[in-house]
Amino acid sequence: MTENVIPIKEIPNYSRKDFQSDQTVRWCPGCGDYAILAAVQKALPDIGKRKEDIVFISGIGCSSRFPYYMDTYGIHSIHGRAPTLATGLKIANPELSVWVITGDGDGLSIGGNHLLHACRRNVDLQILLFNNRIYGLTKGQYSPTSKPGTKTKSSPMGSIDEAFNPIAVALGASATFIARTLDTGVKHLDQMLLEAAAHKGSSFIEIFQNCIIFNDKTWDYASDRKQQPDTVLFLEHGKPMIFGKNNDRGIRLNGLQPEVVELGHGITEDDLLIHDETNRNLAYLLSQMDYPDFPVPFGVLYRDTTKPAYEQAVMDQIHQAQEKRGKPDLRDLYMSDYTWTVEPDKRETQAIMRDEMGTGPLDEEYLDNMEKSLTGEPQQVNKIHEGLSIDPISNLLFGRNAITAQAGDSLERAIKLMQDNNIGAIVVVDSSKRPIGIFTETDVLRKVATQIEDLSARRVVDFMTRNPDVLQSHVPIAHALYLMSIHKYRHLPIVNEDGVVIDVISFRDVVKYIQDYFV
Amino acid sequence: MIEHNDVKTFEEVENVVIRFAGDSGDGMQLTGTQFANTSAVFGNDISTLPDYPAEIRAPAGTLAGVSGFQVNLSSQHIRTPGDAPQVLVAMNPAALAANLGDLEIGGTIIANTDAFTTGNLKKAHYDENPLEDGSLKGYVVHRVPLTSINRRALEEFESEMTSKDIDRCQNFFALGMTFWIYDRPLQTTKTWIQQKFGKNPTIAAANTKALEAGYFYAETAEIFQTRYRVRPAKLPPGTYRNISGNQAIALGLVTAAQKAGKPLFYGGYPITPASDILHNLAPLKQFDVRTFQAEDEIAAMGSIIGAAFGGAFAVTATSGPGIALKSEAMNLAMVLELPMIIINVQRGGPSTGMPTKPEQGDLLQAMFGRNGDSPLPILAPATPADNFNIAIEAFRFAVRAMSPVVILSDGFLATSSEPWNIPDPDSIEPIVVTHPGPRENGNQFLPYRRDGETLARPWALPGTQGLEHRLGGLAKAPDTGNVSYDPNHQSLMIDLRAEKVHRLQEMIPPTEVYGRKSGDLLVITWGSPFGAARSAVARAQTAGLDVSHVHLRHLNPLPRDLEAIMKRFKRILLPELNTGQLAFLLRGRFGMGNIESFSKVTGRPFSINEIYKKIHEMM
Ligand code: SF4
Repeated sequence: MTENVIPIKEIPNYSRKDFQSDQTVRWCPGCGDYAILAAVQKALPDIGKRKEDIVFISGIGCSSRFPYYMDTYGIHSIHGRAPTLATGLKIANPELSVWVITGDGDGLSIGGNHLLHACRRNVDLQILLFNNRIYGLTKGQYSPTSKPGTKTKSSPMGSIDEAFNPIAVALGASATFIARTLDTGVKHLDQMLLEAAAHKGSSFIEIFQNCIIFNDKTWDYASDRKQQPDTVLFLEHGKPMIFGKNNDRGIRLNGLQPEVVELGHGITEDDLLIHDETNRNLAYLLSQMDYPDFPVPFGVLYRDTTKPAYEQAVMDQIHQAQEKRGKPDLRDLYMSDYTWTVEPDKRETQAIMRDEMGTGPLDEEYLDNMEKSLTGEPQQVNKIHEGLSIDPISNLLFGRNAITAQAGDSLERAIKLMQDNNIGAIVVVDSSKRPIGIFTETDVLRKVATQIEDLSARRVVDFMTRNPDVLQSHVPIAHALYLMSIHKYRHLPIVNEDGVVIDVISFRDVVKYIQDYFV
Repeated sequence: MIEHNDVKTFEEVENVVIRFAGDSGDGMQLTGTQFANTSAVFGNDISTLPDYPAEIRAPAGTLAGVSGFQVNLSSQHIRTPGDAPQVLVAMNPAALAANLGDLEIGGTIIANTDAFTTGNLKKAHYDENPLEDGSLKGYVVHRVPLTSINRRALEEFESEMTSKDIDRCQNFFALGMTFWIYDRPLQTTKTWIQQKFGKNPTIAAANTKALEAGYFYAETAEIFQTRYRVRPAKLPPGTYRNISGNQAIALGLVTAAQKAGKPLFYGGYPITPASDILHNLAPLKQFDVRTFQAEDEIAAMGSIIGAAFGGAFAVTATSGPGIALKSEAMNLAMVLELPMIIINVQRGGPSTGMPTKPEQGDLLQAMFGRNGDSPLPILAPATPADNFNIAIEAFRFAVRAMSPVVILSDGFLATSSEPWNIPDPDSIEPIVVTHPGPRENGNQFLPYRRDGETLARPWALPGTQGLEHRLGGLAKAPDTGNVSYDPNHQSLMIDLRAEKVHRLQEMIPPTEVYGRKSGDLLVITWGSPFGAARSAVARAQTAGLDVSHVHLRHLNPLPRDLEAIMKRFKRILLPELNTGQLAFLLRGRFGMGNIESFSKVTGRPFSINEIYKKIHEMM
């Protein structure tokens, strides 16, 4: 595998201002999105990327206006589809830092499928899901993360849908970095953004975001400074799970269930669960802990650094293929099937086949079944017919040796050979015993008998039939019979694979073969 | 010795249309492909059409499980797989029942009598055995106990193969018979068998044996005393291969990307009959072809927008239902003004319709199937091999106009095949792509500042310093592309996008009129009816009828000379595999009342005869 040598780019000394676009920010005053925008603009100078290498892609919704306010590359796409654009972009250019901005409606309702698959594939994206548990842009309908019973214009008696748990969704979809934080928790949000940016693979951050207009205070339990110590569990890898104003409460495992315990009275830190970001089971346990029964876990719930990023795997296969197949050549590609050449005047057919593009529509079922079953009983067929077309000529040969003559032999010798051996034809061969002609009883009758007086003075070569058809012994008898019938041959020389004459079969031999069927 | 050519038992024919039909497990596609390849290598012009069941594994012997493959081979130039087969090879009663209706009157049937068992007859809804009840009186029927004689021929393999394995070779036996009847050499198929089954020498040997046995059986059997010979066609010199539309379009896409020095990104979701494009591209990674099998049609479309933004040559392929799902994202791509290709291999609609059958019902969907005014360039290949050219041309259009381009292929063009005169890749013009370079001076970059001539906006790539910009689906201001609901901006941008597509007319060569440049009747086609229409018009012209033919490969924009050409004819006939969509467009565009739509929506392509008869009727 070739190593991709990426020139290290110098990172300018950016400030948050470098990431602010010239567009006026148009969220409602007091919207949580402002805080998130500020945090992102503050974090980006520290992620080690040049700003032209950063892209923000969003769907539709309040949060999805986000890219317009960033002075990076960006696309404000269509509802729910941001992960799909981001995936295509990463495959086209894996060097970019690509951020997906989505919301609970965009990412978990209309675009739920894409969110799942971007996580599953481990595309190296930072997916920021702004969860305000409401549809803001369409003016306040309940969303897939709204608590059951939420009263909105579309649910006047309270919503009856169960709510999605975004962390559990990301976990179920195999995202390799999963975190939770809050819009107004500046420091923690900043830290999560930096960790997500550093992670190679699909990073998912659920950000509790307040919609001041349609769902105000929905996260107050977690954002209120006074309540927060008792309602939020800040996770740290390798540290015991402690929370509470006085750090006096913790999470302990009771059987398979977590429980909240007070420290003291015999319960020490040693009894508490230690956070392990790499433990998937623990991450699931944490994902199920929710206020008010538990403090809601913030921080990195899960991190798996062992899996390759999707676009990296794509490029690895490209490099492997290039290494294995060498420099790609269009001409070779076009020719990767049967080809044949039409010359301006004469035709030359050459069948060349290479197996790169496949060979046209194939019957997969047929090929699959090559070794499977099919039923059907054989019926009676004409035995003679069947025998002729299957039995090879070798069945007619009984170890006889071909009687041959040389071109220069006299007619006298040739005819004598036929008489002595009681045969109707002799094959005239060259010095390597390859047939050059055949001399038969018909030739004797038609060409010789009436005209020639001195048989010893004439050469057989002048009276034979030149270049006779010959057959190999594995060919079915039927083929011999066919040649005999259409060409009116009475004899056919039989040759081996090297073209050397081994025998001659006659029409009589075939008749005798057929006769055997009647005895 | 006597030359084969002099043997009196040969009958010279100009062309032969033969259809192999059997159970989907009988290997009929393979058999037909071998017959076609052998004929191509022999030098005939060929055209093929597979017809396979929509069900993946329909029960053996049933009508639903019949799989067919038609080959037209000719000593003349041909453009279609042939109207009606003259020869039907039927491996079982269902194959006979399903295909008999297509067979030419007086045509030849080669039937495997062994498969005409009571059970199989019942599955094919026959009460009586048609081979014996006299119902095939009008045809020449060859009854061949194919299964049993094949078993006998492969006796030597009995120790290594089950009798069922052996039976599976009987398609090669059937192929061998047809090779004898049509005087084809066995070598091409023998080579193929070695390539395909070489890893299992027993299967390779058994199939080869079956092929030879079939050949010699035919030779022996009195039934086939007449052999036919189709002489090689006079094709233009060159090196050829047989190619289907889906293969050709894949090669064209790779070529376009290579000619632009770009990676090819293909995002697709499996759908019949477009999936083969993905199958053909996925193994070409050495050409920097990056294929992405998306989670759904929408994701596939989204992914190519992202890839195009990133600077790749991006393409997706689907069929009508997939286009319906992609439409919203196609519209986004249109307003983002990024170059990419969307291929629609059209199939029978509406809704799920007939996935394996061709139709041209998605033209208006491509033209108008998005909210708002959303003009997209639309191209359509004329023949299977033309898919290669159309793919390259589509990328030229896309890059020039900075616009997604739609290619309308169809199930017929995608799966049928014809000889392709392989071009010299060096003779294909490069596709010149320019991206604006980095800026350090801090001057504002204007992502929607347009080229004065083409009206295209610049293709600025992420990673380029100083060109940071945001694109989006909201209405926008000219030049800056900033969100704007200003009524003038909205109206201006809509006009500019339409004009930009319109200006692609400059890329379209003058329209070729086949026949007289003016006269009584002009036949206009687009897409796959080309072959049947051109042949029908040629026949009509030979018969002395005053009829000409124009074929359109560009549907949006239309060629600029089209209106003038149409006005020189008294009447216009428009055969389409839909209920008259191009006819509707042309009437609307040019306000002509003399356009007669000739519609066919049976899931089958036009035959030459149908169009010829229609022309005749009109004259
Ligand atoms: S509606 Fe709610 S989420 Fe949307 S901008 Fe206003 S406050 Fe923010």
